[in-house]
Amino acid sequence: MNALVAVPALIWVTVLVVVGGLALLRGQDVLQRLIALDLLAVLVVALLALLSYLRDVPHYLDAAVALALLSLVATVATARYLATGGPLE
Amino acid sequence: MISVVLDVVGGLLLVIGLGLMTIALIGVLRMPGTYSKLHAQSLATGPGVCCVLASSVATENAGTISYAAVGIVFTVLTAPVASHAIARAARRRGAEAEPR
Repeated sequence: MNALVAVPALIWVTVLVVVGGLALLRGQDVLQRLIALDLLAVLVVALLALLSYLRDVPHYLDAAVALALLSLVATVATARYLATGGPLE
Repeated sequence: MISVVLDVVGGLLLVIGLGLMTIALIGVLRMPGTYSKLHAQSLATGPGVCCVLASSVATENAGTISYAAVGIVFTVLTAPVASHAIARAARRRGAEAEPR
């Protein structure tokens, strides 16, 4: 992909990751922080995909798919843990 | 010829994906309540990341496009699962449907 397109996109996604950290800090509930964390994982997946396009190396997308898998497992496990009220109930 | 077409299509998909992610992030920052934030976040985890991965057609690299297709299939299959789990947890914890 043309570097003229990929580099501004990378910079923009980096800005979005920083603002996503702000959204993570602003969450009032643990579920709102979980939502912001899921969004951050998706932003990092996009960052890895753009890096793969820029450098023309497909292996960064391996890391992106693995990160999406880990993010799904973490989100579902945390949500089910919170839905049942924790280990004390 | 086809290279120029693929470049334009990839650039358009990339712009659409980044726009959807920006809208989702603004929604997560500004929306009140858990359900509204989840509604805004689903825009990025579903169509946003799919558009960014689909813009790999501009690279014209078979390996990159294959991995991106795997990522798209995986995202389409798993994003609703995560959203549903979060919404179910919010309902179990008694989050109110109306924004505060």
